[in-house]
Amino acid sequence: MALLRTPSIVKAAVRWLAFAVLCTSLPAVSLAQGLPLEYAVKAAYLYKFAPFVEWPPGAFASATSPLNLCVVGADPFGAALDSATRGQQVAGHPVMVWRWAKAERDMGCHLLFVGPSKAQIVADALATVAGQPVLTVTDRSRGVTGGMIEFVLVNGRVRFDIDAAAAQASGIAISSKLLGLAVSLRKEPG
Amino acid sequence: MERKRVTGGGALRNGSGAGLLATSLILASGPAWAGVPQSIDLSALSLEELGGIQVTSVSKRAEPASEAPSAIYVITHDEIIRSGAATLPEILRLAPNLQVAQTSANRYVVTARGMNGNPAVQSFANKLLVLIDGRSVYTPIFSGVSWDVQDVLPQDIDRIEVISGPGATLWGANAVNGVINITTRPASQTQGGFVEASAGDQQRSLSVRYGGAMGENVAYRVYARTVFQADTHTLAGTSAHDHASKPQAGFRLDWTPNIADSLTIQGDAYDGYNAQAGAPAVPVSGGNVLARWNRTFASGAALQVQTYYDRAARGAEVNGVASLTVETYDFDLQHSFVLGRHELVWGGGLRNSRYRIENTASLQFAPTSRSLRLGNLFVQDSITLNPDLRLIVGMKVEDDPYVSAVLLPNLRLSWNPGQGVSYWGAISRAVRSPTPLDRDVREFLGPTLFLVGGPRFQTEKLTAYEVGTRLQPTSRIALSVSAFYNRYDDLRSIELAPTGGLPLQWGNLMTGRTQGIEAWGDFQVTPWWRLSAAANVLDEKFRFKSGSAQLGGTRRQPGNDPKYQASLKSAMNLGPAFTLDAALRYVSALPDPRSPAYVELNGRFGWSLTEKVQLSVSGRNLLHDRHREYVQASAIPRSVFATLQWRF
Repeated sequence: MALLRTPSIVKAAVRWLAFAVLCTSLPAVSLAQGLPLEYAVKAAYLYKFAPFVEWPPGAFASATSPLNLCVVGADPFGAALDSATRGQQVAGHPVMVWRWAKAERDMGCHLLFVGPSKAQIVADALATVAGQPVLTVTDRSRGVTGGMIEFVLVNGRVRFDIDAAAAQASGIAISSKLLGLAVSLRKEPG
Repeated sequence: MERKRVTGGGALRNGSGAGLLATSLILASGPAWAGVPQSIDLSALSLEELGGIQVTSVSKRAEPASEAPSAIYVITHDEIIRSGAATLPEILRLAPNLQVAQTSANRYVVTARGMNGNPAVQSFANKLLVLIDGRSVYTPIFSGVSWDVQDVLPQDIDRIEVISGPGATLWGANAVNGVINITTRPASQTQGGFVEASAGDQQRSLSVRYGGAMGENVAYRVYARTVFQADTHTLAGTSAHDHASKPQAGFRLDWTPNIADSLTIQGDAYDGYNAQAGAPAVPVSGGNVLARWNRTFASGAALQVQTYYDRAARGAEVNGVASLTVETYDFDLQHSFVLGRHELVWGGGLRNSRYRIENTASLQFAPTSRSLRLGNLFVQDSITLNPDLRLIVGMKVEDDPYVSAVLLPNLRLSWNPGQGVSYWGAISRAVRSPTPLDRDVREFLGPTLFLVGGPRFQTEKLTAYEVGTRLQPTSRIALSVSAFYNRYDDLRSIELAPTGGLPLQWGNLMTGRTQGIEAWGDFQVTPWWRLSAAANVLDEKFRFKSGSAQLGGTRRQPGNDPKYQASLKSAMNLGPAFTLDAALRYVSALPDPRSPAYVELNGRFGWSLTEKVQLSVSGRNLLHDRHREYVQASAIPRSVFATLQWRF
C-alpha cells in the first residue's frame, strides 16, 4: 500500500529507467531489426528490377563482375536486403549490397536506393550520380522523391512510378515489361 | 568514407517445396511480430505478385501496424493453419500477449494484461476491443465479447494483430487493455474451391468455400460452414451438457475499378444454439453486412469510408443474460496523408446500437430497450524527428452513450538506432464507458431486489505507461519485450444502498495498478525448424477507496488473473510433405477464488497427400483427461480430431 502512495509519475519514471537499463545491458547486436512486410517487399523489388534494366556497355567490368546494389543514407531494410540478395545473380552478375552514409563519386553502384534521410543527403546523392549509369530508386511513400523509380503505396500495396526519361538520359534502358507495371510513367524528357 | 561489404556468396536457398507450408528462412526471416509471414518466400515471387501483396492492414494508421510503437504480436495465416485451431479463441491462444481461458464448450474469456473479471462478484472481462474486418464485435450491453458467436473460416484469415495495451486514441473507448484486429484475405487471394471436413471427439466441422472472378476487376468468395462443439465436463467428470452448434455462411466481394479505388462488400449470417443443462437450448443468431471504400491518391494520401450493419440475438440463459437483440449501424471515415515530416491520420465515426431485452425473473433492465449513440473524432500525427526517432501524438474525443465527451490522448516515441534493436515508449489514457449493465440493471434474488445499476456509475479510467524493445541479434533470432505500468481508477465496485441496505448498487470505489512484463521470441533453429517461446508476468494490486462498503470480500474484483503465463512452440517441416507443430503452455493459478495452475499441450501433424489434398491430425489439451482454466467453469477434456482439406 505504501507503494501506491508514491507519486505515480516518479514511480513510472523509475520503472522506465530500470527497464531502459535492462534493455541496453543486453548483448550488443549486429544485424538489422525485423522488418515490416512493406520493407521486405521493397527489398525484394530492388533486386528484381535488375533483370529488366539494361546498363550501358562498360557499366560492368566483366561478365561476372558484381551488380552493386547501394543504399545511401538511412537504411530501412537492414538484414532483409542481405538475405534477399544472398546468392542471387542477375545475368551472371552476383548481386552485392553496399551501404553508404552519403553518396560519393565513383561508388560503382548500378542501382542506388536513397533511404529516408535529410533532404541534403538525398539531394546530394541524386546529384552525385546524375548522368552516370546508375538506376536511382527512392521511396515516395516515405516522402523521398527524385529517383528514376519511386515506390508508392496503392491500396496498401507497394507499387512504383518510373521516370523513363531520366533513366534514358543516364544511358539506362528499362524494359517495356517493367514500364508496363509502373503506376505512372514519365517518358518524355522534362 | 565508410564502405561495408555485407553480402558475399554462400548460397543459402529455400529448400522446402511444401508450397503452403514451406517455411522460408531466406527472405522473410523477420519474426512474426514484424508482420512478415514466415511462409512467403518473396524471392520466389514475380514483380506482379510483389505488387499484389497487401502490406498495410486496414487500420487507422498511415503506416503498417507492425511498425507501430506498441506491444503488437501478429498471428500470421500460416501460424493459424499450422496450429490446427478451428475457432477464433483457440487461434488467439497463439498470441503470447493474451490470456485465453475456455469456460465451456464454446465460451471463452480472453483478455490482455489481466482484468479477466471475477464472476463470483459479477465482474466480467470488458476491457478488450475486438474487430473483424473493421467491424467491432463487443457487446454494448456489458462491453464484453460473446466469443461463442464470433467465427471466421481460419483459411480466410490473413492476419490477426493483437495489441496489448490501450489503443483508445485510434480505436475508442473499451480499447482499454488491448485490441484484437482480425483481417481476412481479399477475395482475389481465396480463389477456387476449398472443402474442409474435420471430425473428433470434441468438435466436428464442415466448411465449403468457393472463390471466383467476374472480369479483371471483381473477385468474390462465398462460404458456408458449420461447427459443432461437444459437451465439456463438470469437475465430477459428468457431462456439462453445454454442446453447441452454429451454421454460418457469408461472402466477400472486392471490386477494384482502377488502381486508386477499391470497394469491398462483405457479410455473414449465422443461426445456431448453445445447449444448457436443465433448460432449453439458447438460440443464437445474427448477421452483418459491411461496405468499405478505399481511395489512394498519388501523393500517398488515403481515404477510407466504411459502413456496416450488425445484428446479434440470443435467448435467455438459466443463470446468465436475459434474451437480447442488438442492432448496430456504424459509419466511419478516415483520411491519412503526409505533410513533410508529419504523417497525419484523422477521422471520425458514428455508431447507433439499438437493443431490446426481454427480462427474466432474476435479471431485468429498465428500460428494456434503448438506442446507444456513440460519436468520435480523432487525429494522430506521426512525426519523423530524425531518421531514427519518431514521435506519435494522438487525441480522440468520444461522446459515449451515458457520459459526455471523454478525451483519449496518447503519446508514443519510437527509436530505431539500427543494429537490430529498436525501443519504444508510450503514455496513454483509456476508459471503459458505462453500459446498460452498469446503469439500467435490476437483479432479483427471489422476490428481493438485490442489485441495481444507477446514474451515478461513471467511466472506469486507465492511465498506462509502457516501454518496449525489439531485438534481432542475428537473422535467426528475434525478441520482443515490453513492460507496462497501468493505473486504474474508478473501477466498478458493489456498494450498499444510500440507506445502508439492499438493493446493492454499482459504485466506482475501486482503484489499483497492474504492472508486468511480456516477452516473446523466435529462434529459427534450422531452415525447417522454428522454436518460439514466451513468458508473461503480471502483478495486480487493487484496493477499495475510502467510503466503499468493500462488499464481495475480495480485492480481485476487476480480475482474478494468473500471475505467470509461459509457452513454448515448435514448428517443423519434415520434408516437403509433412509438418509437425506443438505448443506447450503454462498458466499459473488464479488466486481468489482459486483455480489451480495447469500445463497443457496442443499439437498437429499435417500431411500433404497431393498439392490439393491435405490430411492432418490435431490434439488439444493432450496432457490431462480434463483440466479447468477459469473459476465457475467447465472442465475441458482432452480432444483429438482429424481434418481433410481439398482444393479444386
